[in-house]
Amino acid sequence: MRSQSPLSKTATMVAMKELEAFKESTPGLTSLVLLTSDGFEVASLQVNKDSASRLAAMGSSLSAISSAIAKEAGLSECSRLIVESDEGVVAVMQVPNVTPALALAIVADDASLLGQLLWGAKNCCAALSEKLKK
Amino acid sequence: MISDEFKILFTGPMGAGKTTAITALSDQQCVSTEVVNTDLTQCDKETTTVGLDYGHIDIPGGGGVRLYGTPGQERFRFMWSILANNAAGVIVLLNGEHPELEDHTATFVDAFWQQGKMPMVVGVGRLASDDFETIERITETLMRRQIAAPVFSVDVRNKDDVLLLVEALLCQIEANELEMVEA
Repeated sequence: MRSQSPLSKTATMVAMKELEAFKESTPGLTSLVLLTSDGFEVASLQVNKDSASRLAAMGSSLSAISSAIAKEAGLSECSRLIVESDEGVVAVMQVPNVTPALALAIVADDASLLGQLLWGAKNCCAALSEKLKK
Repeated sequence: MISDEFKILFTGPMGAGKTTAITALSDQQCVSTEVVNTDLTQCDKETTTVGLDYGHIDIPGGGGVRLYGTPGQERFRFMWSILANNAAGVIVLLNGEHPELEDHTATFVDAFWQQGKMPMVVGVGRLASDDFETIERITETLMRRQIAAPVFSVDVRNKDDVLLLVEALLCQIEANELEMVEA
């Protein structure tokens, strides 16, 4: 357990507002976790602390493994990954151009539409990038 | 007879040198999932593995040893059992200078021994050449758990040292398989 978040309190509040706006505009969203690339939760919505920590760690592992596969296949960096099941979707999307590197983990149920979810997530990550850029 | 291609696992706490060891040994370009480390209080290093490391030792005439490395932090514990699946044995790497060395030993030895009592070797880095006491303490920790695993002082940057760990583990694996055949 780390003692201090890599984001300031103000930056965390800004991030929370963006997560809330994404949640409001997107049906089927069940949980959101903003995480550092090394697996720490920095902000989350509708998920308890333990689950948020686990989602953050798993999101960072998946994201790093996806980047390694993309590199192996001769592609550029992996910008997002999607895990689909009959009951919903988990997606992890990179927040571009921020330091420290951040990603957004999204969990949605079967009320969600994948296209709408990804479009909303992309906009949310772009807004986070704009507001958290140093 | 042991198969000609098998998987061994490197584990241990953050900063013990798992990625360095696999990189030192691998005959192929390693797969790495290192990212920027934002938790400098736990370990003062720039990057950390969050998924896995992968390398391969080619054995002349075919076959080889697949080298997998785990992340070291407890929050990535879910990766430990995934990576341990089908592993023939595990090398536990420890940082001999770390104040929580004994806790680290217990955490990693217990976590992987509980996966199915797989053959195990322990490598301790950053020890003075005459520090036999630390090696003895770790051996006692293993003996209390009735685990027969050799403990070596190693420099993970040195290929020969890491190779010694792998060879010791391969001997353990072979002895284990012979025991199973004879039983």
